[in-house]
Amino acid sequence: MKWVKDWYLSDIILLALIGVFFGIIFLGTNYVYDVLTAVFAPLGLSQIPNELLLGLWCMPGMLAGYMLRIKGASVLGEFLASVVEMLFGGQWGASTMISGILQGIGSELGFTLTRYKHYDWLGLAATAATTTIVTFGWDLARSGYGKLQLWLLLLFFVVRFCSMFVFGGLLTRAITDLLDRSHVLKTTHTN
Amino acid sequence: MNPSLKLLLLLIVALEISFTTIVSLNVALVILAGIYLLAKRVKLRTLLWLLIVPLIPAIGLWSTQYINGTGQKELMAWVLFTRIYAFVFTGATLTLTTDVLELTDSLEQNCHLPAKFAYGVLAAYNLAPKIKHEVQVIRAAGLMRGQTLSFWSPQLYFKAILISITWSQNLAQAMASHGFVEDAPRTHYRKVRVRPVDWGLLIGGIILLQLGVFVMPWH
Amino acid sequence: MATIALEHLSYTYQTAQTPIFEHVTAKFPAHQFTLLTGPSGTGKSTLLQLMAGLLPLPADHGHICYDQTQLQNISAPDRSKRVAMMFQNPNQQFAMDTVEHELIFALENQRTDPHIIHHRLTSALDFIGIRELQHRLLNQLSGGEKQKVALAVIVAMDSDVILLDEPFASVDPDARVSLLRRLVELRDQRGKTIILADHDYAGYDQIVDHVLQITPTHQVVELSRSDWPAFFAAFQPQTLPAWFLPVPVDQPLFALHQVGLRQGQHELVRPTDLQLHAHRNTLITGANGTGKSTLFEALVRLNPYSGTINYDGHDIQKLRRKRYARHVALLFQDAEAQFFNITVAEELAQSQKYAYGDYFTPTRIQSALTQLNLAGRDEQVIYTLSEGQKKKLQILLMLIMQSPVLLMDEPLKGLDLSSIHALVKLLQTVQAATQQTLIIISHQLTGLTPLIDYHLRLADHQLQYVGEVRHES
Ligand SMILES: Nc1ncnc2c1ncn2[C@@H]1O[C@H](COP(=O)(O)OP(=O)(O)OP(=O)(O)O)[C@@H](O)[C@H]1O
Ligand SMILES: Nc1ncnc2c1ncn2[C@@H]1O[C@H](COP(=O)(O)OP(=O)(O)OP(=O)(O)O)[C@@H](O)[C@H]1O
Ligand SMILES: [Mg+2]
Ligand SMILES: [Mg+2]
Repeated sequence: MKWVKDWYLSDIILLALIGVFFGIIFLGTNYVYDVLTAVFAPLGLSQIPNELLLGLWCMPGMLAGYMLRIKGASVLGEFLASVVEMLFGGQWGASTMISGILQGIGSELGFTLTRYKHYDWLGLAATAATTTIVTFGWDLARSGYGKLQLWLLLLFFVVRFCSMFVFGGLLTRAITDLLDRSHVLKTTHTN
Repeated sequence: MNPSLKLLLLLIVALEISFTTIVSLNVALVILAGIYLLAKRVKLRTLLWLLIVPLIPAIGLWSTQYINGTGQKELMAWVLFTRIYAFVFTGATLTLTTDVLELTDSLEQNCHLPAKFAYGVLAAYNLAPKIKHEVQVIRAAGLMRGQTLSFWSPQLYFKAILISITWSQNLAQAMASHGFVEDAPRTHYRKVRVRPVDWGLLIGGIILLQLGVFVMPWH
Repeated sequence: MATIALEHLSYTYQTAQTPIFEHVTAKFPAHQFTLLTGPSGTGKSTLLQLMAGLLPLPADHGHICYDQTQLQNISAPDRSKRVAMMFQNPNQQFAMDTVEHELIFALENQRTDPHIIHHRLTSALDFIGIRELQHRLLNQLSGGEKQKVALAVIVAMDSDVILLDEPFASVDPDARVSLLRRLVELRDQRGKTIILADHDYAGYDQIVDHVLQITPTHQVVELSRSDWPAFFAAFQPQTLPAWFLPVPVDQPLFALHQVGLRQGQHELVRPTDLQLHAHRNTLITGANGTGKSTLFEALVRLNPYSGTINYDGHDIQKLRRKRYARHVALLFQDAEAQFFNITVAEELAQSQKYAYGDYFTPTRIQSALTQLNLAGRDEQVIYTLSEGQKKKLQILLMLIMQSPVLLMDEPLKGLDLSSIHALVKLLQTVQAATQQTLIIISHQLTGLTPLIDYHLRLADHQLQYVGEVRHES
């Protein structure tokens, strides 16, 4: 278990705390979600709000990977966020944890594919794309997307990617730019 | 039941029902979980709340399938509707009846999760009530300096991360000064055991689930 | 039992140009109580963290020795038996949920035999005298209670050396006296070595064995006994001046009608009627955990309350949040809560941009910075300032905003005496020109009293003015 040694206690607490913070901020978006869902329901498009906001829920993972630049940060960041969410009695019970791992793996893949070297727009676009693909694969089964009409699937996919890119890409970049300038994040890791 | 094994069982259930399309199985799981919760003296009001909370996402999934699905639209719509409830109710058997500390102890002692993960997450979790308040404080402090922060403002997340960084360093230092050393052995005051009956429940649960998925003629 | 020696210790922060310590040689004798002093920003926290091993000392930067052993040669698991640290901020000091669980956690870390854990834990709680807190949630304790728990953990761990970094910064005078008494007992009865950093030296001359000072030349020197009287003179316990009671008016600034405060199950303030007055400065005092901060948070709508609060004749719940925030601002107890940018200059610019009044011109800001000893730090990242520097900057930022009412929660926290005098002078000048209303919560009164008009006391769940009745002349 070599990877275990790469993680310091303060990193673990940091990722878990970010998970809690973000989770609580996202709670404020629930009413947006509810209202939009009700509006779209008669059209059979009520997954649209879910797709629109999913990037926000996947942000902890993408941000952790981009911010800490350690192998496994995305997986751990997103997973810890989902664990905390589950402990709070989140809407999806134990499946929150499964989604969390998958979302984390999705985000991590983007950084892996760019060989942990592209902490720039390329890396962010890659992680947004891989997160979209992996989570979409999971929803084909869990949310029954496999049984939907093709045009709808395409629409959902495009919306989801846009959401991932806006929140996981643009917003993450804006946040980490502020962090870089503040010098508060001195990673002690060298890889 | 031993918390770690319970968690494992719930993960298996959640994973398996994600790939099955049996309405009655989902309903059966909801009922079983409901009985378990009642037996553990969870309040009726809480159970009602569990019925209300997932309603909107459930209706969302239902209507999407019902209107835009292919094949057996109606069946699939109800599968998804009941699946959410199955997730929520089975999940609640852990979150409403198992103490987080107990789960941590068990993961550390029974599953040999490194203590830094167990206590790191626990420490963050214990700060959650403070964090809730802190988010309001960030927003109010912003207003007092002429800045409105909403959920798409980078500054809001920046502040949240800054606080997380400071707190994580403070906590890590405090834990170190309370004698915590990463990857060093510790003793355990509260012992958590895996008894044979726990294994029995886990294996029994898994077998029952397979019976429900593959053998039971539900229709 | 350990004597600690610093040998040719040097330290410089990576991001800073000037060193904090240069070839320091000093001794902290075993079984004795040492007070560590020095103006804000000289490196007291840095030194304590180095001594606790929480901040790694690079090679070739001298040594820190516990008896003959160098700190870096003491294995990590043994370190907690040698040295333990108690922090300034009572929050984020605990990993667990309850007092009992935290003590167990610490003892487990030391690999204490589980059979004796219970005994060690109860005897530590008894020693500090907080057995009744055993099962309480840490989140729900007051600042003073948390510090007592932190001390109990150290007692249970039985560490030889106890380092304390401004442990009383958010602790009321009674709790401070009782904690100090415990520390003296730890030295006398258990032979502990105690090293404590503080700004407020009141009462220490009776207790401590040594006073060490960090000098502006980055050295650590001992203050000789003969200099003690002069050194401690400014911190003689003060008697509060006799303020007058306010006269009730028709249009007060804040009118509280049957306002009650609670936190969770806990009643803090019983329903009460009260007026707060415009263009006067009101001081609020009260023991730790009585609900002073909760009152402020109610006034800015961050906490629920019963009854009604009117501001300038309007129910505050009916005012628009954004507008109200520009009228009534709160200086939070924690300075960082108020920062939104990166550098000192950016923060100043933001406050100027959104300011409500135009008193603070660039020249006035510059002179205020000089007055507060913050000049020349424009490009410094705020998060690398010392605690005292942060506090001063925070206050200046909120003053520049010029909201008509400023609620200040512990504005003197972590400030040295000369900073306090400079600050009070600045507040007086600004107020003479702008008529701003200040409402101030403070445990520390040294230097603050010239600013105050009225005194409001929170005790026994009652919020009441204290003072003499003003006779019409
Ligand atoms: N991480 C850091 N990077 C750069 N400079 C730092 C860092 N931490 C502290 N400093 C600087 O080092 C100096 C000493 O800081 P320290 O916190 O030790 O002071 P202090 O004596 O404890 O002050 P106070 O009484 O205000 O708490 C300060 O001038 C501070 O600005
Ligand atoms: N979320 C909460 N739940 C329960 N109790 C709480 C909560 N938040 C604070 N308290 C408790 O309420 C009491 C009042 O806290 P408050 O911060 O208002 O006290 P204070 O008078 O400002 O004390 P101090 O002088 O230490 O700053 C404290 O005992 C505190 O621990
Ligand atoms: Mg300090
Ligand atoms: Mg307070």
